[in-house]
Amino acid sequence: MSYTRGTFAALVDALVPETPGLASRGPEHVPGGLEAGLEEAVVERVNSFVETRGLASLAGDAVPLAPAVAALLDAAAAELLVRRRAEAGLRSPDDAFAGGPFCRLSREDRLRALRLLEDDGVVAALSERFDAASLGTVQFLASSLPILVEFVYYSETTADDGEHSLGWRQADYPGPSDGYPVLLGYEVESFEENDY
Amino acid sequence: MRERETDVAVVGAGGDGPALAWRLGQLGVDVTILEAGPFYGNEEWPAPNDAPGGEASGDPADLSGTLYDEQFTSREGDMNDPVTGTLRWGPADDDRPPWQRTVPQQALIAQLSGVGGTTQHYYANHPRAFVTAVDDQPQWPIDYADLVPYYQLLEEVHPVEPAPTTPKAEVFFEGARRAGYDLNEGLNVTEAGYRPFPNAISQPDERLRRDGGDGDEYRYPDYEGDTLAMHEHQGGPHPREAPFRERARRSSNVSLVPRAFDTGNVEIRPNAFATDVLTDDGPGSVEATGVEFRDTWAATTERLYADVVVLAAGCVETPRLWLNSGLPDDGWVGRGLTTHWFDFVTGIFEPGAVESLVGQPAVEPHQGQAAGSRLDVPGVGAVAVNTFAPGVTAMAVYAAGRGEWAFDRDTAGEPWDSCGRLAGRELKERMADYRRTLTLICHTDDRPRRDNRVVVDESTEDEHGPVPLVEWEPHPDDDARRDELARRGAELLNEAGAAHVHRTDAAPILLHMQSSMAMGKVLDAGGEAKNVDRLFVADHSALANGVGGANPTHTGQALALRTAERVAARYFGGVDDPVGDPG
Ligand SMILES: Cc1cc2nc3c(=O)[nH]c(=O)nc-3n(C[C@H](O)[C@H](O)[C@H](O)COP(=O)(O)OP(=O)(O)OC[C@H]3O[C@@H](n4cnc5c(N)ncnc54)[C@H](O)[C@@H]3O)c2cc1C
Repeated sequence: MSYTRGTFAALVDALVPETPGLASRGPEHVPGGLEAGLEEAVVERVNSFVETRGLASLAGDAVPLAPAVAALLDAAAAELLVRRRAEAGLRSPDDAFAGGPFCRLSREDRLRALRLLEDDGVVAALSERFDAASLGTVQFLASSLPILVEFVYYSETTADDGEHSLGWRQADYPGPSDGYPVLLGYEVESFEENDY
Repeated sequence: MRERETDVAVVGAGGDGPALAWRLGQLGVDVTILEAGPFYGNEEWPAPNDAPGGEASGDPADLSGTLYDEQFTSREGDMNDPVTGTLRWGPADDDRPPWQRTVPQQALIAQLSGVGGTTQHYYANHPRAFVTAVDDQPQWPIDYADLVPYYQLLEEVHPVEPAPTTPKAEVFFEGARRAGYDLNEGLNVTEAGYRPFPNAISQPDERLRRDGGDGDEYRYPDYEGDTLAMHEHQGGPHPREAPFRERARRSSNVSLVPRAFDTGNVEIRPNAFATDVLTDDGPGSVEATGVEFRDTWAATTERLYADVVVLAAGCVETPRLWLNSGLPDDGWVGRGLTTHWFDFVTGIFEPGAVESLVGQPAVEPHQGQAAGSRLDVPGVGAVAVNTFAPGVTAMAVYAAGRGEWAFDRDTAGEPWDSCGRLAGRELKERMADYRRTLTLICHTDDRPRRDNRVVVDESTEDEHGPVPLVEWEPHPDDDARRDELARRGAELLNEAGAAHVHRTDAAPILLHMQSSMAMGKVLDAGGEAKNVDRLFVADHSALANGVGGANPTHTGQALALRTAERVAARYFGGVDDPVGDPG
């Protein structure tokens, strides 16, 4: 397991964890993102956010941004700890995780660390002070992570057969359809060209 | 460098460009549309994401329903993934990353490249502007009445019709009635009330009545019109197997592009990214003479000279192209962006509550039209049903919030039971309730402000020059309007019997964008640039404000039709039979 993948595993696990407590709703509700290989799918996408230019493009089409994002998550975790904002203590990381501070936080504290990147943390404060677009981009990137993780998990992306992903099964979504007989009628037959 | 000539060069075949092109084509003016993205459902490009294909298309016979069915799979990951999806903001070549924008804040931008532009995944909601937003707010140099004939034309041709009632719509209507709202039956909205959406979606076959379904495959030619499959966000290609131009959801590629081609005077060149507006500097005035563009496959640069240039590249790229071309900036170029300051409120219903309202135990958000019913609140905005497949639901409703995570928030005393971003067990529980969920979107009547803007980020360039930099922050007055809409939405859900109401408290979601090149500011009342002759703008950036929070495309297209007539009147010898009042 690489540092990058292990750090993204800790992110994925905070957002869509395994939930043994949901077994009463059916066994399909227990597994989470790690089971679906979600961290891999997310790393791939983060690594294709931004196209390379100039000399760098000789090495590939896209900037491998995921290692930098993993480092930012660790920096934010360190800030959370130093500023005593973490509500739970440090833990030894899960087997699937890397060894940095982000991976040693409780699930909720990992998400609080992510918040520091968006708002209120060092990077966000600097971008306010200097009105700097490039620092602000970190805020954008940080807030894109939950969006990306939750979208990919609840779409069909991680399914082997392109349809029966954990996310779709947990939502009980039947997948694409040609149509449904659900017409009840019309509340208005046609709109009037009324005075105004 | 290759050079060609035409009468009118249009940049962008999105929501509005094709409306203008169609009207100009009818008037006998030759139009070439340069479109940055791919052309789906066209035989000139059988594998649009893998190979360059043909060069241009202008023949209705090129349009192919068979290819459309292959390319638009209806799966949300395939279609909507912002990085790898078929529908994204990026080049046709899907081995390449999306095109870049600098967004120095928490925000989500949803715009698409390709013929049809962002309407490729729109919900085809076509309400007119709120009357007061045009006549009483100070920005518009024209009257609401000036738009009406163009609205009427679009309502006839798309067509725009009342959305059908389905179980989820009936849950909404009942909540609205119990909350004390009346039904709005008019096209011109001046009072608060609920109604089915006027939608550019052909109404469904009567055999699709609930309990009537005979278990058929709901495909063309057995079924025409909407099949209530709710795949608008995935490209809305239903009914399957229909000819391209008979798909029920009337995005501009399906509805207006074929009509434009029928005139014989319009061609579209996809995979062509405009990078420079060419000008002649005459004495005291600047005049547009053409457009320089880059072929996104071949990486070659070409020029298209024209008597008139029309920018229809959308609210972000139109100002970027303007600024990168060095055109004059009077202080409002790219400024005054409105976004409807979205939010979501979501209700989760117990089976008994839904059963008593609509005779079935679940809301079934994935059935029926994506957005079929709404509550209008002139002066404040609108609250509308907005339903999505699960991935988009998780992304928009549960992950796109701002501020603290839900687990760190207190909602005591609020009309919602939880608020903010969800993660962990709480997220999984809510998503396990997906089929019992009804989501409402709040469209705020946010007002144009100079600081909300699109400029260029000189420090970041892609192959098309410095990239756009987008900044949008709500004003406290916009926050207050959004809060009011969220409260009204929550009240409606509670009245309908929701067991749990969640508010997203969304970060800026930029998916309705208007007024960044506003008529009255950058443009004159005919849509022509005040400081550049022969240069017009005909996309949502030309709207003078956010049209009150009504979904903007009906007004954007109506205005584009009107601008087409102004183009013809000013530069092509007049209009014999104008749709509107020839001002
Ligand atoms: C999920 C979703 C649902 C929506 N539902 C609705 C709805 O129900 N009703 C409604 O009114 N609105 C809806 N909208 C918004 C609506 O789709 C947009 O407001 C509308 O498409 C904007 O039209 P436009 O012509 O301004 O820009 P666009 O439709 O974005 O078109 C701009 C076009 O220009 C092209 N382009 C850009 N730059 C260049 C360049 N330099 N050279 C060449 N081409 C270029 C782009 O590729 C694009 O095709 C929805 C949006 C989303 C994301």
